[in-house]
Amino acid sequence: MANDIKISIRNLYKIFGPTPDVALEYVKRGMNKADLLDQQNHVLGLRDINVDILDGKITVIMGLSGSGKSTLIRHLNRLIEPTAGEIHLDGENVLDLNEEQLRQLRREQMSMVFQKFALLPHKTVLENAGMALNIRGYTVADFESEAVKWLARVGLEGNENQYPHQLSGGMQQRVGIARALVSNSPIMLMDEAFSALDPLIRSDMQDLLLELQSELQKTIVFITHDLDEALKLSEHLVILKDGEVVQQGDPQEILLNPNDPYIVDFISDINRARVLRVRSVMDTDFDRDADYAGDISEKDNLEAVLSRSGGDTDKIFRVVRDGEMVGSLSMKALTRALVPTDAATERGLRKN
Amino acid sequence: MATYDSLFSALGLEDWCAKGKDDGPMSMADLLAKTKGKDAEPPSLWDLPFPSMDALNESCAAFPQSRELTKGLEQGFLDIKDSLSLVLDPLTQPLSWFLDSALYGMLNTPWWIIIPVMLAVVFVVTKSWKLVMFVAGSICLLAFIDYYEYAMQTLAIIFVCAFLCVLFGVPIGIAMSRSDTMQRLTIPVLDMLQTLPPFVYLIPLIFLFSVTESKLYGIAIILYAIVPVVRLTNLGIRLVDKDVIEAADAFGMTPRQKLFKVQIPLALPNIMAGVNQTIMMSLAMVVIASLVSAPGLGVLVLRGIRNLELGVGLVSGLGIVILAVILDRVTKASLARINASQKQ
Repeated sequence: MANDIKISIRNLYKIFGPTPDVALEYVKRGMNKADLLDQQNHVLGLRDINVDILDGKITVIMGLSGSGKSTLIRHLNRLIEPTAGEIHLDGENVLDLNEEQLRQLRREQMSMVFQKFALLPHKTVLENAGMALNIRGYTVADFESEAVKWLARVGLEGNENQYPHQLSGGMQQRVGIARALVSNSPIMLMDEAFSALDPLIRSDMQDLLLELQSELQKTIVFITHDLDEALKLSEHLVILKDGEVVQQGDPQEILLNPNDPYIVDFISDINRARVLRVRSVMDTDFDRDADYAGDISEKDNLEAVLSRSGGDTDKIFRVVRDGEMVGSLSMKALTRALVPTDAATERGLRKN
Repeated sequence: MATYDSLFSALGLEDWCAKGKDDGPMSMADLLAKTKGKDAEPPSLWDLPFPSMDALNESCAAFPQSRELTKGLEQGFLDIKDSLSLVLDPLTQPLSWFLDSALYGMLNTPWWIIIPVMLAVVFVVTKSWKLVMFVAGSICLLAFIDYYEYAMQTLAIIFVCAFLCVLFGVPIGIAMSRSDTMQRLTIPVLDMLQTLPPFVYLIPLIFLFSVTESKLYGIAIILYAIVPVVRLTNLGIRLVDKDVIEAADAFGMTPRQKLFKVQIPLALPNIMAGVNQTIMMSLAMVVIASLVSAPGLGVLVLRGIRNLELGVGLVSGLGIVILAVILDRVTKASLARINASQKQ
């Protein structure tokens, strides 16, 4: 399992317009997005993207609208053709595939979940869930048991014979997820899959996804514009801005060491106590015999530690992994980590 | 002395003009001018005629008159007519067979089979008892006043023509939706078919085929009625939700699977609206086509006009209205059923 690279994106460029090849030269020479639109009348979609997507992990690509995140995810299964660059899936360049091989890849390697669900309105929930198998030539009788199993898994037992328009948005997206799971592909692409749902249902769906993921360990690429969602789901976070990667890596690391004012702005509004985990802020250079107020797990979030401490900032906790002490966390350090601009100011990113 | 004499002399074409003297037949205007005597005063600028073919012909006899244009067109058509009908005749012959056998079948099956079968079809496509009762009442009314045979002839023609319109129109519409070039080429043809007065394309058809052949009116009806089903098939497929198409692509559908599993089913409400319009337009055309021997209620309308039989004209007109209402309600009801199962 480990951290094998499933998909690696190298030097990917996408420019929209009549003569992208010409515009590409300008972009490579450093022309920015606004100038390209003004002078060349081309839209810069993506510029020099290099991202590794890890096997069996959730990689979240986050950015505001227009940052190119939906464009990027569509390059993975070539719903959009790149202007330049390479995309390697298990070492093979996806861009070299011919039409038939590409279809095979889309059928067997990658499934996709869409923001607007994109279910077939004239087919039942069961037939929609089995769509991927139906495309491969199986009949309803062949895929029924598989489809029923996954529909039940996403909480849609008994809805098999309804039509999509009879279901609520959240339930429709469950069908969308079941459809992707039934296809049994190792990679799942999720394009703002939960953005159209209301907050409570969205949170439910995120929990469902995490639960499924702990069981299935698929390679998931998840697109979102919502930082809370990104931090909740991601094991690897990629932040896009105007078609460029501004920072990527462990989400905790990004939160503590943002390298761009854009990200600082982004993370200034979130609830850090809920997102940050003990392991990211603990002190690994500890004194084994000091007076500790209690044991906490390295996976706990700071909110849990705060409530444990009862507001007493003098306490120091022992951080434990599998019964072994791995660090210590003083309430003072914890409180400092909660101030959003601290880390950034230290590095001089926020001058004001 | 005509207005544009100086133009031809300036161009040095007098010799060429002189050669054409006494060629063209005398026009009405020439005759009138002759009886009035020679033009007394030189024409003022106010009366300057547009340099049309006839005006130029006055100055230069070798210049063709406008009636020679229409005559030339006619002669040209007559010249290619034989070779054209050599190709078109066998191609369109099946249409005659369809129409003749449909008419034969409708008229030679006893009414107590035809009417129940029709009502059963109405029920199957609409699942509405109310509509079945309405259709039964209307047909019985027509039969009671002895218009049954005419109405059935009209219906037989409409069924055959509308079926063929769908058979050809839907694939044309699909081809248009898949290629912008095809759409650009087809739309002017559709526009022309829709705006050309229906009488106009009866004329070349009369030259091409014998008036006794049923395909003559069959072709006229199909040309007139095929437009909406083509247009709405094209529109329907182009309007299919882009997200669903993208999902179909993302899961690896072949273009063929996409067409039959996604595009056509999702475009079906629009295609059915096109079929409804096609049926209504074939009904309109079947009346006009009675001028070229199409049987049915149109013949009675024509008799009403020709012999000034007011009663016959009105009653047969009413019969057409009843048929129109039946066909419209039945197709709309089946359309509504498709819509109900498809709303998103």
